[in-house]
Amino acid sequence: MKRWKASLVLTLVAAAVLAVGSSPVVASTPDDTRATSTSSSSTSYVPISGAGSSWSANAIDQWRRNVQQFGMRVNYASTGSSDGRNQFRTGTVDFASSEIPYGLSDSGVVDTPPSRKFAYMPIVAGGTSLMYNLTVGSQRITNLRLSGETVARIFTGDITSWDDAAIKADNPGITLPARRIVPVVRSDGSGTTAQLTAWMASEHPRIWDAYCARAGRPTPCGQTSNFPVISGTGFVGQPGSQGVSGYVAQRANVGTITYVEYSYAIKTGYPVAKLLNKAGYYVEPTASNVAVSLLGARINNDPSSQAYLTQILTGVYRNADPRTYPLSSYSYLIVPTAVEGNFTTAKGSTLGAFAYYFLCEGQRQAETLGYSPLPINLVKAGLEQVRKIPGVQAQSIDIRSCKNPTFSSDGTNTLAKNAPMPPECDRRGSTVQCSDGTGGAAEQPTQPGPGASDGGATDGSGTGTDTGVDGLPVDGGGIGGDGGATGGGPAICEIDTGACQTVAAIPVEIERVDAGWTRESTYMALALIAVLLTALAPPALARWVRATRSGS
Amino acid sequence: MLAIMLLVGIFLAIRASDALSVAGWSFFTEQAWEPDTGRFGIVAIIVGTILIALVAIIVAVPLASACALYITQFAPQRIRGTLISLVDLMAAIPSIVFGLWGFFWLQGEVVPVAKWISQNLGFIPIFAVRGADPNDPLAPTTVFTSSTFIAGLVVAMMVTPIITSIMREVFDQAPIGEREGALALGATRWSMITSVILPFGRAGMIGGSMLGLGRALGETIAVYIIISPVFEIQPRILENGAISVSSLIALRYGEATQFGMSALMAAGLSLFLMTLAVNFAASFIVARSRSGASS
Repeated sequence: MKRWKASLVLTLVAAAVLAVGSSPVVASTPDDTRATSTSSSSTSYVPISGAGSSWSANAIDQWRRNVQQFGMRVNYASTGSSDGRNQFRTGTVDFASSEIPYGLSDSGVVDTPPSRKFAYMPIVAGGTSLMYNLTVGSQRITNLRLSGETVARIFTGDITSWDDAAIKADNPGITLPARRIVPVVRSDGSGTTAQLTAWMASEHPRIWDAYCARAGRPTPCGQTSNFPVISGTGFVGQPGSQGVSGYVAQRANVGTITYVEYSYAIKTGYPVAKLLNKAGYYVEPTASNVAVSLLGARINNDPSSQAYLTQILTGVYRNADPRTYPLSSYSYLIVPTAVEGNFTTAKGSTLGAFAYYFLCEGQRQAETLGYSPLPINLVKAGLEQVRKIPGVQAQSIDIRSCKNPTFSSDGTNTLAKNAPMPPECDRRGSTVQCSDGTGGAAEQPTQPGPGASDGGATDGSGTGTDTGVDGLPVDGGGIGGDGGATGGGPAICEIDTGACQTVAAIPVEIERVDAGWTRESTYMALALIAVLLTALAPPALARWVRATRSGS
Repeated sequence: MLAIMLLVGIFLAIRASDALSVAGWSFFTEQAWEPDTGRFGIVAIIVGTILIALVAIIVAVPLASACALYITQFAPQRIRGTLISLVDLMAAIPSIVFGLWGFFWLQGEVVPVAKWISQNLGFIPIFAVRGADPNDPLAPTTVFTSSTFIAGLVVAMMVTPIITSIMREVFDQAPIGEREGALALGATRWSMITSVILPFGRAGMIGGSMLGLGRALGETIAVYIIISPVFEIQPRILENGAISVSSLIALRYGEATQFGMSALMAAGLSLFLMTLAVNFAASFIVARSRSGASS
């Protein structure tokens, strides 16, 4: 008893030491420029709570950890945008986060705005990325490229195999395995699903409506927060961004693909597909590419409108800039603008200070987290929105002190202006395919596959960029094709045409199913016998012993 | 006690009446769950719930019986206390922890087992898996994940400690006189167990299992994390796709409209009635079985 008590005390002491040891770590989180915005660090804040989008949750979580040093306690539950909007409507949370506004129709049901007064405030930009888990032999593919139509057909169950001709056409440089594609979709009501389906409904309505009709939804389907799943098609549903990315990131789940914010791919260390844009380039949702794309977003600029500051993304889907990532969007906070229900001016003070923090300094961290910072016009508008929160201690912030990477002296978006153009190997039709990794797997380039026509890989002599040299017309990748034979694996060339093809196989493992009696079978039989023995022998033995004893 | 249960039942019935009056009898035949379009029913969900609970019970009861017997009859006196507190400790692990463990670790380890079962026993319909082709080396193993089987295994881990502690209490109460009598008459320890302990504890074993079943039926968050919800009767327990009433409620209550909430209440009501039925059946079995020394 005494010893037990002693160990308890020891445990308690250890726990206390740990707690003390870890608190300075929290306080010194990356961004420790103290209080340009939160000058009122001496004021005491009451805790506030919010819920909603898991798309933007990685950013919100980082920000609320950062503001702990100012004494603000912000609780946030990333339960999905639909849940967030619902909880805000019923008044159980002080603020909500959502990708889509209230009032949109989803399968014929209108998501009615709450009766309490509210306003939208943009918080961060980002790209809905297509994170996947695909290997060939033992090598992970990290440079997959997909066109919009292919993505739509994958998520409607039309393309079911990774070696489908449509995917091959997008990826001339990868040898694709004949694996089933397993689309992983959100099982809860989600703003990410709404973003993806809005894009499909706008850009590929025929494919999307046909799928919706098969799933028993009324068409035209439009955007929906609940992805319809047809049973038996091999789709997997998981709750939350954490759920879908966690599922794809399980090593054994090869062949899966999901749609999730870029930051989750970075966090789990998995690659994302480069998506084809209108300019014919395959593009990754990096911070600068997202910033460029969103120059095409149409923002509601009517301050008297209920939907002030909300986005219309058609211009992003069709943005003709070669750096555009078509699935870019903003995420919003829904904040109360009147003291109603549980919301008080004291809470408004905390919420306002928190908003000042993330609109200004917080944006600097967006890029490292896997998001993209807000442009100057939205930061300005957002700062105006903060003033509508009751109880806020209004501050006039000099936005130049925010060091937001998009700001410039002449009002243009610096991040977008300086965004690098995509390399030639990312152009559709280029004979070479970039081999660098993407997303969380940026450090792992994919070696050109053995069967790939990696023509220009030798010296790039014939790729399209060289056409102007010496004024000699060089037709496309025609010459580069000759170099292909050197790229891995033996090659067979046809003598009359000169066309070469590399011959190589993808190593696979197969279990011998109908191989008759193998050693495994023997072990299994032995194990079965052992189990039966342990179960049956003791009672049988006992009975036998009893019988012999009573007999004697 | 009874009054509280009655109140819960009445509350659920009132809240559910809205949805039930719209759905009518189709509530018991429709498999889909889309309350806002008027197409929703309980049948697929109830079947899914029962399947998960059955898998859990089939795994947990033998395991718990063995544990309880070992602790009460075989374990040396020195380590008995430790074992008992270990089992109780296991009962105290929150279900979210079990869920995360199941999702991130167990799932990967169980897939080969599920694969083996489906390949060798696939001719039995419940072990069949659509989309699994053993001759295709690149066939995705994802068809074996997020299944009724894996959810059932995790729930089994959660109900085992409860069943074990009830059985242990019961076995401990076996009259010392009869036990020592059997041993004095020359019985081995095992035959003493089969002739004294087990008959004496039968009612307790059934009661414990039923209590475990009740908890397995209602287990929410671990199931919610693991399964990939499907809304059809899906009897292939190894195949991706499962559903249970409580995980459906956890999944949908946040985003439900007022009518959707009423439909969820109706689902909750049917789970409530089913659990009641199970518990009544348990007490009926316990009352009818011999011994009566414990219940």
